[in-house]
Amino acid sequence: MAHTTIITAPEKVTPVIKKEQYFSLSFVLSRVLNSGVIMSIEKNESELKGLEKSIGKLTQSKYVSLFNSYTGAVHAALWGQDIVHGSLTRLEGASEQDQRFVNWLGVGLVTDSEVSQGFEKVTVTWDNLSRIEQELLPKLQQSPVLVLDFTELGFGPCASISVNDESVWTKAERLKIFGAFDLKTMWTQEEAEPDIQPGAQFNYRLSPLVAACVKLSLLRRNSSHED
Amino acid sequence: MKTDFIRKPLSLPSEAWINEQLAYYGGPAVIPEDSRKTTFPSITKEDIVQMLVSIQQSPEAVIDEFTEKYRSYVGANYAIATASGTSSLHLALVGVGVQPGDEVIVPAFTFIATAQAVVAAKAIPVFVDIDPLTYNLNPALVEQAITARTKVIMPVHVHGLPADLAQLRALADKHKLRLVEDASHAHSASIGGQLCGSIGDGAGQSLMADKNFPVGGEGGIAFFKGREDYERALTFLQETGIDYRMSWIAAAFGISQLDRLPYYDAIRARNASYLTNILAQTKLFKGPHVPVGHKHSYNMYRIKLDPEAAGLGDLPDYQVKEAIQELASSEGVFAREWQNVPIPGHLPFQNRKGFGRGYPFTLSERKDFGYHIDHFPETLKMLRSTLTICRELRSPIEYERIAAYALAFQKIDANPAIIRELVLQNTAAKKSYERDARLG
Repeated sequence: MAHTTIITAPEKVTPVIKKEQYFSLSFVLSRVLNSGVIMSIEKNESELKGLEKSIGKLTQSKYVSLFNSYTGAVHAALWGQDIVHGSLTRLEGASEQDQRFVNWLGVGLVTDSEVSQGFEKVTVTWDNLSRIEQELLPKLQQSPVLVLDFTELGFGPCASISVNDESVWTKAERLKIFGAFDLKTMWTQEEAEPDIQPGAQFNYRLSPLVAACVKLSLLRRNSSHED
Repeated sequence: MKTDFIRKPLSLPSEAWINEQLAYYGGPAVIPEDSRKTTFPSITKEDIVQMLVSIQQSPEAVIDEFTEKYRSYVGANYAIATASGTSSLHLALVGVGVQPGDEVIVPAFTFIATAQAVVAAKAIPVFVDIDPLTYNLNPALVEQAITARTKVIMPVHVHGLPADLAQLRALADKHKLRLVEDASHAHSASIGGQLCGSIGDGAGQSLMADKNFPVGGEGGIAFFKGREDYERALTFLQETGIDYRMSWIAAAFGISQLDRLPYYDAIRARNASYLTNILAQTKLFKGPHVPVGHKHSYNMYRIKLDPEAAGLGDLPDYQVKEAIQELASSEGVFAREWQNVPIPGHLPFQNRKGFGRGYPFTLSERKDFGYHIDHFPETLKMLRSTLTICRELRSPIEYERIAAYALAFQKIDANPAIIRELVLQNTAAKKSYERDARLG
């Protein structure tokens, strides 16, 4: 008998969007739908750039890269620091999902404090959104890579990495099929970054529709009442 | 208000345009510069209303509704909605049982995600050349690529033309291999009435923005014939923790778009048939070859150039192609390269870094992976001598626009001497695969 299912990531229950946000989110989605091709690989995609900018400001970071899942961001955080198949890393407070995913990448987890922490992470929820700056503050200096997971806002899997080291960002973008560098090669007809070559690549690109909702939520995080 | 509404209608087409001076030399362009934009997907009030409804439902319910609706449309037994086409292919491969170090046979001409999905499954892509007529995986060459490590044959229905699944199925059965379709270009395409995605043991399909059935930016779906394969894919997700979930926003868009897919398919088929019939009357151009019983979805429309028939056979084919591309572009028709280097020639297969330290390529005992582009002469020939219309024909364009495209090709066909002149002027032209590899 025919059957379908939806994928449920371990340990995550996606919450329903709050009623008072229906109008503003519907409005922003309608506006994005009406504005042209909704394509994450368009050169001038403004929703993705806008979200990157908001996150950069929030995390006080020079470079931000967006992903269509938390695990995509974890992969990029490690790959960007050359923590690859056969490497070791440390993840304090790693969830069961973290452990399983990092193991699948072929990266070993250790508790030895001599090994640097792979990345810091913050899960952004409706509960902590209005005080997200305070949540982020202690994390900013602890690791060169900060992963923000926006999935629990309810728009679909969405995460980012924030870094100050350009080479980490470059490698992270290289992990994405049609990330920033593949895109440049399309327009210039020349390999954009021959020295930092891609290996395995995944489609971790975020939909501009999801990005638009996350961006709106971040911009209005201090409004107590919506429309 | 920011809008993609096209405000300027095209003039009604006239055959007199064929004899006008080429736009490249200052004549009037068949499609004026301010009328070249096409839009797809078309967003209608149904999409907006569906979004207003879906936002009030649980994400799981929206995704489930979309998955079931599309699974039923395709006629597949089992389906898993995903975040992208690449992730759907990855799931299809692990679902049919691909293990680290296995080999998967794929065509040398496709989008890079086909082969990267094989690497994601920690397997080794083995590239095989294409059929010179259909540009799909050539079944006649597949058998010699099969080794003791081969697990899957994964054809791609390139541009929306179904691959020769009957022959590939026979080969798969003979060698006890699994057959997985990359149906990313082939929404509503079919063989003998059976839709692509439902024919193989498994299938992956992209639903991203430049596909015939796009779901709001990014998305994909994996299909399975057998319950065991489907459950293996679900177990893989649980065991690895990898999050490949589709956003409910994409699913909501998919629900409303799916209702209009047959309408858009019909316009594409009408337009492709019109263009193919006109091109058949020219010396230089030929439309896609579609085998009997196969239904092409025309996600892209690849035009074959025949310089010899136009008295240009003494000139290098790639230079003739470049000159025609230039002329077509100035007439307002974006016939271009889609892919310029066979996939094994792209950096990730030349350097074989994989997940790092060469994994999973290090699992292979191969000394030579067969990734030199010279192993794929038919792909190289195709890249030298064809041009592709992409979004401009994927969109449900109006009659006057498709008629204008046809007139533009007729106009160029009437000017072989100018093509010769351009070729002789442009001595710096390179073969496409001598340039850096691009993804599209």
